[in-house]
Amino acid sequence: MNFLQKFDIKGKISLLKEFFYDYVWKKSLLNLGIASIVFSLGYIQFTTPQFYISATLRESQASTAQGPSFGGGAKALLSVTSSESNISDEFKSNLFSYAIAQRMWEKGWATQIYAGGDESKDINKIDKSHTISDRISSFLLGYELYDYYSPHDLQGFIAGKVSMDKRFNATNITVSMRAADQSFALNFLNDLILDADKYAKEYLILKSQAIIDGTQKQLVVSRNSAIAASLAATINGEYLKIATLENDMPYHIYFIDPPYSSEYPVYPDTFAIFLSNLIIFIVSSIMFHFIRDNKNNLW
Amino acid sequence: MVNRFFEHHDYGGSLEYYIFELANYSFLVLLISIFYKLRFININSFIVWSGIFFLPLLFNYFIFSPFLYPDQFQYAIEVMSLKTYGISTWNIAAQEATFPIVENLLSISTHPITFTVSLLGLAPIPNYMTVTSLAFANKFFLFFSFLALKNFFKNENILLLFFLIPSFLLYTSISLRETLVILFGIFFLLNMLRDNYLVSLALIFPLLIIKIQLFAFFAVYFIGRLIFRAHKNFYALIIYSSCILLTGFIFEEMILQVVNYYRIGFAAEDMDMGNGIYGYYAFALYGDAESLTLHSMFELILVAIIGLPKILLMPLPNTWTNIFYPIQFLESIFLVSLYSWIAVKNNLLRNQEFIYLSFVLVLSLMLYSLLAFNEGTFVRYRFSLFLPFIFAIYYLANLNQADSSKNKIK
Repeated sequence: MNFLQKFDIKGKISLLKEFFYDYVWKKSLLNLGIASIVFSLGYIQFTTPQFYISATLRESQASTAQGPSFGGGAKALLSVTSSESNISDEFKSNLFSYAIAQRMWEKGWATQIYAGGDESKDINKIDKSHTISDRISSFLLGYELYDYYSPHDLQGFIAGKVSMDKRFNATNITVSMRAADQSFALNFLNDLILDADKYAKEYLILKSQAIIDGTQKQLVVSRNSAIAASLAATINGEYLKIATLENDMPYHIYFIDPPYSSEYPVYPDTFAIFLSNLIIFIVSSIMFHFIRDNKNNLW
Repeated sequence: MVNRFFEHHDYGGSLEYYIFELANYSFLVLLISIFYKLRFININSFIVWSGIFFLPLLFNYFIFSPFLYPDQFQYAIEVMSLKTYGISTWNIAAQEATFPIVENLLSISTHPITFTVSLLGLAPIPNYMTVTSLAFANKFFLFFSFLALKNFFKNENILLLFFLIPSFLLYTSISLRETLVILFGIFFLLNMLRDNYLVSLALIFPLLIIKIQLFAFFAVYFIGRLIFRAHKNFYALIIYSSCILLTGFIFEEMILQVVNYYRIGFAAEDMDMGNGIYGYYAFALYGDAESLTLHSMFELILVAIIGLPKILLMPLPNTWTNIFYPIQFLESIFLVSLYSWIAVKNNLLRNQEFIYLSFVLVLSLMLYSLLAFNEGTFVRYRFSLFLPFIFAIYYLANLNQADSSKNKIK
């Protein structure tokens, strides 16, 4: 007996036909197929599409100090643009910091996020909604829930929605978020990145000014010429730093790809939902008839 | 755009997750209904497989968090990336692990994750949308392996019982490579027992990529059987083991270097000093590499022999940290008992083929015992090594029974 005879290909085809006409070629299957489409349409109505918005950044390269040498000042300048390994960490810390959330808050982003864009509302008086379980917990444990949104909520929003990835051994940084409103997300992400970068510069300027003030006080009382020269060099260096930082150029990073939105939403996958529901409904119908016809064998 | 890599959307345990995976389950149930109708499987198999197919839906998110086996996400994201853009995720692509077959035309990935998902991705299930989808692909291949194994074992119901071993159910219900590893192992050994050397050779090559240590163990079995005929004659086995020992002493330095490297690596990975100090960092601060280093082949053999009972029975009660551990401990005892019971019941103890199989199994377990610092990982490794040998000796028992029946008739 050869393989084909052993396999009984004719018999199997007739069994397959039998299966098709008994369980697949049925009106109920068509009805359920249509029902699955209706169900999928209904389901999709309750989902909000989400677009993927991302920006690719690159760490600013170290620039070499040019011009006349002025001892300690040159050293100070180099320290501004060196330590690249910490650039992404510092940028990330700033991105998710309260200070940046507060700046974004003051710019009015809270109105966009929490008050539906109603600019007539006072940003410090936007009512905060709480879930029933939160209210019950606060009632039972006796603590107060906050009535209004604050920059801390915006900080939480940024931490929850925005992500920053830097691939191992790479200098590119990807900052991304998902949102239903593309134009809002594009502007928000752009503003957030620029503010996080600007904040680092402002902090360094303030730091340099504080050093200058302190050093100048020391210089006034200093009697030793060597110490006075060193203090003067430090002041020079800090002024140079301020001069380098006081411009509109990016400090930590610059854009390779400015914020960009995906053309299609990354969620929901409509095709997969339609297909999955169709399969579930159709197979349920087939299995219903199959089990009904084979119930004596099954139990 | 610079950022061209696949962006994964994690559906978590949402309604969509269950819709997508229920569709995969429905597809597999339809498949077994057709196979039942075509009389490829009996009614018991139909019922049991309906249950087995349902398990992926129960495990991830329902019984435990998928982060209990976090590697699942790497496999899931890789298969989605390959199916969406045809390229690996950035961290895998960065490793550039490919092997050219035809210059500039055809190449295969030698990265274990890419290679595994390339094979599992061939399963024609409707969705590869979530972390659990590959588990259904695993089930698809498992079912077809069951059908193929019916060619080796006459009793379908007993064969079905092997597919109900708890760890087998667990590892084939999550998105890891263990299913492929176990199936390649089973078919390799069964084909070896049928003297199908070329088929066996083809079956162990994928293991070179997906589980190199298992490839090494099976290669030892392959060479011993093909060249030394160690399955025929006890003296041939002694000669073969002497050769292995001699090779061990000749390449002592190199072997010790490799074993110590992995031994320290596994120990470091498992180290946890608390307060967030764990892994290699903890080992760099507090680890004692010298106490783990093996200095001679004698010491290696001694430590391996001492560690053998532990690897056979792990996870031992002093290491239990979750509900699976006691179950796996009891299962370890059950599997060792099953192995012994099959051998005793079918008079295999003097069967040279059985002796040779057991020799390779013990040798492999001894090597594992040198590295077994992480309980969870090595329980899994041990299982994927042990199960193919159980199938093999059960097949041997069937052959033995058939021979006995023939002799009685004569």
